[in-house]
Amino acid sequence: MTPPPRLAVRLAGLRLRGERREFVLGDLEEEFAARAAVSPAAARRWYWRQAVRCLRGQGRDAGAPVIVVPRGDPMLRSVLSDVRLSARVFRRAPSFAAAVVAVLALGIGANTAIFSIVNAVLLRPLPYPEPDRLVRLFHIPPQTTFPGIPTFSLSVANFLDWQRDARAFDGMAAYRGRGLTITGATAPEAVNATQVGAGFFGIVGTPPALGRTFTADEHQPGRSRVLVVSDGFWKSHLGGSPAAVGTTLTLDGERYTVIGVMPPDFSGHGWGATSAPMWMPLVWSDTDRAVRDNHNYQAIARLAPGVTLGQARAELRVISKRLEQAYPAEDAGWGGTAIPLQELIVGDVRTSLLMLLGAVALVLLIACANVGNLILARAVGRRKEIAIRAALGAGRRRVLQHVLVESLVLALAGGAAGVVLARLALGAGATALSGQIPRAEEATIDPRVLLFALAASLLTGLAAGVIPALRAGSGDLSDSLKEGGRSDPAGAGLLTRRALIVAEVALSLMLLMGAGVMLRSLHLLRTVDAGFDADHVLKMDVNLPGTRYAKPAQIRAFYDTLLERLRALPGVGAAGYADTLPATGGGSVQPIVLEGRPELKTSEQPTVAVRAVSGGYLPTMRIPILRGRDVAASDHDAMLVSASAARLLWGSGDPVGRRVTLPLESRDTLIDVVGIVGDVKETLAEQAPPTVYYYKRDVPFGDFSVAVRAAGDPTAVAQPAVAAVRAIDPQLPVQNIQSMRDAIDDTLVAERFRALLLEVFAAAALTLASVGIYSVLAYLVRGRRREIGIRTALGASGGDVVRMVVIEGLKPAIVGIAIGAAGALGAARLMEKLVFGVKPYDPPTLAVVAGTLLAVSVAASVLPAWRAARLDPVAVLRD
Amino acid sequence: MWFKSKPVLGDFEQLVLFGVLRLGDGAYGAAIRQEIHERSGRDVSINAVYTTLDRLEQKRLLRSWAGDPTPQRGGRRRKFYALTPAGAAALRQAWRAFTAMAAGLERQLDVK
Repeated sequence: MTPPPRLAVRLAGLRLRGERREFVLGDLEEEFAARAAVSPAAARRWYWRQAVRCLRGQGRDAGAPVIVVPRGDPMLRSVLSDVRLSARVFRRAPSFAAAVVAVLALGIGANTAIFSIVNAVLLRPLPYPEPDRLVRLFHIPPQTTFPGIPTFSLSVANFLDWQRDARAFDGMAAYRGRGLTITGATAPEAVNATQVGAGFFGIVGTPPALGRTFTADEHQPGRSRVLVVSDGFWKSHLGGSPAAVGTTLTLDGERYTVIGVMPPDFSGHGWGATSAPMWMPLVWSDTDRAVRDNHNYQAIARLAPGVTLGQARAELRVISKRLEQAYPAEDAGWGGTAIPLQELIVGDVRTSLLMLLGAVALVLLIACANVGNLILARAVGRRKEIAIRAALGAGRRRVLQHVLVESLVLALAGGAAGVVLARLALGAGATALSGQIPRAEEATIDPRVLLFALAASLLTGLAAGVIPALRAGSGDLSDSLKEGGRSDPAGAGLLTRRALIVAEVALSLMLLMGAGVMLRSLHLLRTVDAGFDADHVLKMDVNLPGTRYAKPAQIRAFYDTLLERLRALPGVGAAGYADTLPATGGGSVQPIVLEGRPELKTSEQPTVAVRAVSGGYLPTMRIPILRGRDVAASDHDAMLVSASAARLLWGSGDPVGRRVTLPLESRDTLIDVVGIVGDVKETLAEQAPPTVYYYKRDVPFGDFSVAVRAAGDPTAVAQPAVAAVRAIDPQLPVQNIQSMRDAIDDTLVAERFRALLLEVFAAAALTLASVGIYSVLAYLVRGRRREIGIRTALGASGGDVVRMVVIEGLKPAIVGIAIGAAGALGAARLMEKLVFGVKPYDPPTLAVVAGTLLAVSVAASVLPAWRAARLDPVAVLRD
Repeated sequence: MWFKSKPVLGDFEQLVLFGVLRLGDGAYGAAIRQEIHERSGRDVSINAVYTTLDRLEQKRLLRSWAGDPTPQRGGRRRKFYALTPAGAAALRQAWRAFTAMAAGLERQLDVK
């Protein structure tokens, strides 16, 4: 015979005393035995259910309470009894409890959600072995020619010298991205791969989940047709089967063998090198290895054990100095540095996130003030109850404890609801944020976030409860107990409550100010004149695989045909291509040499942004041609220069008709300057860089963004435009088809996200503050009924009463606005880096915000004031 | 008060008393609980049954005695119950009230 589950027996007996315990447990065990004879599992389930029912107490049919003999620590017991009492009190006042829990759930939930993003982005280390030893390597370019550009990609020869000479690292590997087209099984598909140098996977430190990574041998020319794929690609394209290792894929017309699959955790994390779906060996020919003046590679390195970042940087500095002397023509002025991988990934997001965390903490503070107010109002309403408890022997400490426990219970309930809300918000927001904030999609409710929520709840409970608790514990007992004694002794709690209003208004002002400045900044960014007209333009990316389009003539033929067909589409005005479109970031920066002048050391040679374009591109983007003419198909090598490039290179001279070379493209090709065009911004928030638009008849590669100007909605021509590409070459993938306006808006996602969150926080703050003002005034009017009645009886008009109450409400609001303005000034520093074209302490915004708060305060005062004015003096005075 | 008030039985108290009556010599907690469950469909906790039994005993409608410990019960005793004359009278009263009130309503209540 099996006995019932021991734990369940203990549970069942937990609240049973004396004989009852013996009889009940005996009955349960007997029935269990009978049931176990039929089905032991069902019997165990049944016993557990009964045990829980015993624990729950009497059941509905019972009357007399079980008397529990007090056990344990008296302090803990009194807290527990306070918890129970609170639960009972809240059951009696459910709307009060619900209001408080809802306010706190929103406050704590918002904080938890933001913190979980902070946790994922800033606090959680990268999931690679000893991630703090991973650094990326950069050149520091000469500031004379690359002003304001702090770091630069590496050149191959310099990287190889660093790799040979540096002792501070356990290993270095170069890498760079490459676009490819998969053909074979399905429709052609564009994929990005990362080409990685020898040792890359070893340096990062994550072993493959299946198969192997590259051998040194596979980085040699001719043996490199091997691939390591990501977990995501393995599942989506290779069926997620172990048999995928050893299969082949056709990329750009060549067959590659899949030799390994990386685990899911390896991918992403906001680092370009691991975000691609596949990796292939980086192969350098002897010619490649000699290139010192073209900087096109990224590099990752692992610090040797015990080596500090400072030591590693010092060593790179020393090696760079030596290279400067050895190769002055290429390397003069080029330094080297290492930056921790984590820092690069988090980058500028840190300021944004900390600002948001601060803002959301303000919301919680306002919620605390509000809840404090509500609890205070209740505590004052319950003076009698508290006085009775005190009269029956409850010490001041005991009363204080009770009020605090009440507020903590509310805060914990709010916190629990808040975690649920945060979870929901993350579920909805994480996908929207992924790609915009690095690692945001990794945000989850982990133990650290839960701990944060718990701490936030406890602090909230304390902050909201401490003032009411102190107030409840003080005051004259007999006064409160006296029947007919005024329920609200003059001034009791009013000062405290006014102070809470001041705090709420001040904090709201800071939040509104932040939101206002953010919105203005976003508006300015959106309406900034970027130098071209993005409306009605459709863009799409076309990549011609080098294997099938090896000759410039093939590429030229393809694009000539494509542009011709696009221009012939109904509703299309103009079409052209560029290697990089404006306002979306990125693009090549190169030294430029004027005809007849010597080529200087790279540190002294002026540099310009170089955009490879077709004829018709500038009119398509409506970039104005200020002088000269557009490039045309009849040109061989022609160039348009931007106004600022013209100033930089020729001063007041006329560039049209002059000739230049771009040494990184070709030292032998003289390019005719045929015109000057307007300046165009590369990044909305920054100055337009000096730019040249280069039309080369014999383009060596065919990856371009094609822009099409439509008469109406640009997305309407998307389908015919793709069809035009496919009609020429059905094997070509077309990517990133969207309107230019959307493409620009995509670059503002971080700004939009910040502005949106701040708006939400500010709206919450404003609502909470107005509720706070309203409740204080309503309370005040109730307390001063007699006085108002007397005033009315003595001849005060309704208008006088309304004015009096409204002014009463405005006083703390005005003090709050003043304090908040000072606070906003203090917080302005945090915002400085995040706004564009507007001071974080913008007087017009401040005026609007202060006005809004005043208006809200008046609005919140109107209802209590109106009630006060309608008081019937006869009825009031008779009471 | 000049009259002696008769105890009025609650609905669950009636079920428990009927259970005790039906079970005769074998009326103890678990058996009563099962009897109520099987016949009336009400699945109550054993603890609730005992609480009601205690109350009925306090009202002197039931008397009780403890049996011997048995191994099936883990060496614990059973507590048996039987109706007192007052308990039988109260149940009779409840039965009369119920049948008198229900008489002739079978069709309306749809029980036949």
